[in-house]
Amino acid sequence: MSLGEMAEWFAFLVLALISLAGALGMATTMSMFRSGIFLMASFIGVAGLFILLSADLLGLLQIMMYIGGMLVMILFMVLFSMDPGGAMMADMKMSLVERFFSLGLSSGKKDDGGGDMEHGGHDGGGMEHGGDGGDGGGMEHGGDGGDGGGMDMSMTTPVKGWAALLGLANGALLTGLLLLRPAWPESTEQPNPDSAEQIGNLLMGKYMMAFEGAGLLILIGIFGAVLIGRTSRYPDDRSRTAYVTVDAPPPEVEESAGDVVARDSKEGD
Amino acid sequence: MTGGEILLRSVGVLVALVLGATLTWRLEPRVLESAGVTELGPAAGTHPQGPIGLAPNPDVWLYPAGPIVAVLGVLFGAVVIPLGPDLVGQDLGIGVFYFIVVIDFVVLGLSLGGWGANVRNAAEVYYRAVAQLVSYVVPLGLAYIGAIMMAGSLSTIAIAQAQEGLWFVVLQPLGFALYLVTGAMQAYRPPFVEPFSRHIEHGVYGSSAGWQALLWRLSMSGVLLLVAAMGSVLYLGGWNGPLLPDPLWMILKTLALMVLMLWLGARFRPLSTAEMLALSWKVLTPVGLANVLLVGGLILLGAGP
Repeated sequence: MSLGEMAEWFAFLVLALISLAGALGMATTMSMFRSGIFLMASFIGVAGLFILLSADLLGLLQIMMYIGGMLVMILFMVLFSMDPGGAMMADMKMSLVERFFSLGLSSGKKDDGGGDMEHGGHDGGGMEHGGDGGDGGGMEHGGDGGDGGGMDMSMTTPVKGWAALLGLANGALLTGLLLLRPAWPESTEQPNPDSAEQIGNLLMGKYMMAFEGAGLLILIGIFGAVLIGRTSRYPDDRSRTAYVTVDAPPPEVEESAGDVVARDSKEGD
Repeated sequence: MTGGEILLRSVGVLVALVLGATLTWRLEPRVLESAGVTELGPAAGTHPQGPIGLAPNPDVWLYPAGPIVAVLGVLFGAVVIPLGPDLVGQDLGIGVFYFIVVIDFVVLGLSLGGWGANVRNAAEVYYRAVAQLVSYVVPLGLAYIGAIMMAGSLSTIAIAQAQEGLWFVVLQPLGFALYLVTGAMQAYRPPFVEPFSRHIEHGVYGSSAGWQALLWRLSMSGVLLLVAAMGSVLYLGGWNGPLLPDPLWMILKTLALMVLMLWLGARFRPLSTAEMLALSWKVLTPVGLANVLLVGGLILLGAGP
């Protein structure tokens, strides 16, 4: 085996590991933010495999799409989820894989009461799960009537085992199809290094209708966003004013109503 | 290409980047201070406000990953910057597109390091950096497209060679102006310093120390250097010039463009992310589309190479 071939194998193994570990981490970590980052890592690993197959333009397109897109998506997850940093979940009973991918998530316990420097998502004090004995306490907590202030407990859904099984079966099926395939024709022809030009010609020639159709669809999407975001009958509503951050420090993180309710119910236990 | 040659080229790119970034790091505060800028952005020195425990409770994976990812992005980007027709890390067929993509890793690094620090001010960096990414990415692409259309290639070498007779800045002043604005936005330089604003204690600078702080400075100086270098390849003819040797021309143009960007940026007050988005969608994107139209007309009229 020559040096080049060995390097190719090494790159393939590393990229495959990144793709698989990223996917596994995405499904098992307790932190929303990490989950998105793991998904991105998985896609970037797949993009590396594309580049290894000499499809460099396709690989780079995938990286560009997923860095920008995934960062914006995580931003929305952070906006709309209860515990994006996974601090509350971090102390719960977890399987080995989940514990590995949630390693080092801040539970806020190490913090010496310096609440003023804490980010809202990681705010530790509000809900302490399983801290005082009873490992399964966290699971039960979600069960008894949603007193977690709307906390999403889907991360510990019992369907998870079935999903893992389904995923494994799917992988085995695909690998089997690959192993039992009819012989593929082999060619010594080198791929065209100027794939960008070819792809451009195809997009603007043969597939122009699909390309322009996608453009039209995105334009309609923008119109929809403008329609929803336009000034309404209540333009002076306080929630509509632009939050201009440059001239002032960001406002202090306030304890939300949900935290107070949760703490009260905890004390009532 | 043999293994030894790959190693030699990698080390060459690394050394060039570190030297260039150091020069940028020394030069930039002087330019900004002589222009009277108070909000220095990534050029700011360290002034930790509180006790030295900068990030008391960080995410153990994401926090150290941030600066490493940012530096890798800058390092990968430096590969396609040519100092001469043969003096380049690697001439890729899709060089310019590759450059746009790998510089995005800087934004990813800022997000990882900012969120991972688990401190309020640093987490704010993530929100601001993503908002800035959304506002610059479309007009920046349009600023590249003018030069790419005229050169008829995505390779940095081919684009510079296409400007042997006439620099593209003469034919496309609008595209060059657009590049100046969006480049400053991409490099987080004044007036677009929101993720490094002093109101959030200079963002990731305020939450990192030691090797992480060093890598942040390397990546932030490097990104300004690379944006200026890419601008001089796209619009100022790269290494082309009389008398002086090729690499010297490239370095001079890069530094001149950098100083021009900083000096122009110093004329304006810092913009918030909301104002940046408004500027991008209401002004820069239409200007970019107009430039593409103009360049298309020029090419049809037979101007350019």
